[in-house]
Amino acid sequence: MGLDFGPSGEQDGNIITTTIDKVVNWGRKNSLWPMPFGTACCAIEMMATLASKFDLSRFGSEAIRFSPRQSDLLIVSGRISIKMMPVLKRIYDQMPDPKWVISMGACASCGGVFDTYTLIQGVDQFIPVDVYIPGCPPRPEDLIDAVLQVQEKISSGASPKGVEVIYE
Amino acid sequence: MNEEKEVEEHSKPLVLEKLEAAHADALLAQDESRGTVVVVVRKERVYAVLEYLKTDSELAYNYLVDVTAVDNSRMESELMRFDYARFMVVYQLYSYQGQCRVRVKVPVHENDLSIPSATGLWRGANWLERETYDMFGIHFEGHPDLRRILMPDDFEGHPLRKDYPLQGRGERERFNFDKQNA
Ligand code: SF4
Repeated sequence: MGLDFGPSGEQDGNIITTTIDKVVNWGRKNSLWPMPFGTACCAIEMMATLASKFDLSRFGSEAIRFSPRQSDLLIVSGRISIKMMPVLKRIYDQMPDPKWVISMGACASCGGVFDTYTLIQGVDQFIPVDVYIPGCPPRPEDLIDAVLQVQEKISSGASPKGVEVIYE
Repeated sequence: MNEEKEVEEHSKPLVLEKLEAAHADALLAQDESRGTVVVVVRKERVYAVLEYLKTDSELAYNYLVDVTAVDNSRMESELMRFDYARFMVVYQLYSYQGQCRVRVKVPVHENDLSIPSATGLWRGANWLERETYDMFGIHFEGHPDLRRILMPDDFEGHPLRKDYPLQGRGERERFNFDKQNA
């Protein structure tokens, strides 16, 4: 993987000039630590994504953390009930900035087919979501694509949705 | 569904014969549903009937599979059968010894939602009855810990009742996160 940050001058082929932001973002991008919030069938696809066949570690995200304090990518995969929403919100709040959120599958994004009294119709009503994945369930490739989109956002220097919400 | 249906004497299940002998006054109706014996029992006698079914050495319905309820408020035919009792509490029992099932149903009127708890017979009835309380608002007298089990503690109403709107009363849009996190 080449160091492909922008303005670079070379002297004797040994020195690269860049900016702090670019280096930091490059590091963040390639070592996203996901916090898996798997509550339903979508989580099975997430597990498949992490396992050897699809192998999310190819993209630097294999270090799954079950503590929100150590992670910077929240993957909401599955139905969120009204009893679970305060828990999810709390976990999101506990993650250190900068943090990104993927809403995986129809249920997390809009309630899916469960238009009922107990199901949150889209977690983005309560926590900021950076990337949505359609599908029921999405295939592991879709989750990989979402992680790559998050990586693109990071390397482009865009701030996470959550930060935009705070400073709006 | 036919109360008057003649059950042929020789094919009568043992459980019905024994219940008729021991608890004839408790039985409101008998049915058969896909090979399962169904008995409808008076609320005041349900504990005695369940105890009999569990402890009788020939029957030994020792496994309480499920406790649940049905809201019949939109089932006119069912309402008429049992004196306009809105709810029907349902116990599913299984006998490991006889390898057969029996279903015990109890009509419960809306103005008196109490029914004796079966926790004294099966400790497993605890969570099943809590669920029935949560979803239908049936009060199980003598239950050690009758709290909601599925819905949040501050939820109002009983969502499996037929008059509860499917999409709820706005619970899924309203949250007081500060309170919940406190
Ligand atoms: S979107 Fe489909 S697969 Fe995913 S949690 Fe909902 S029902 Fe399950």
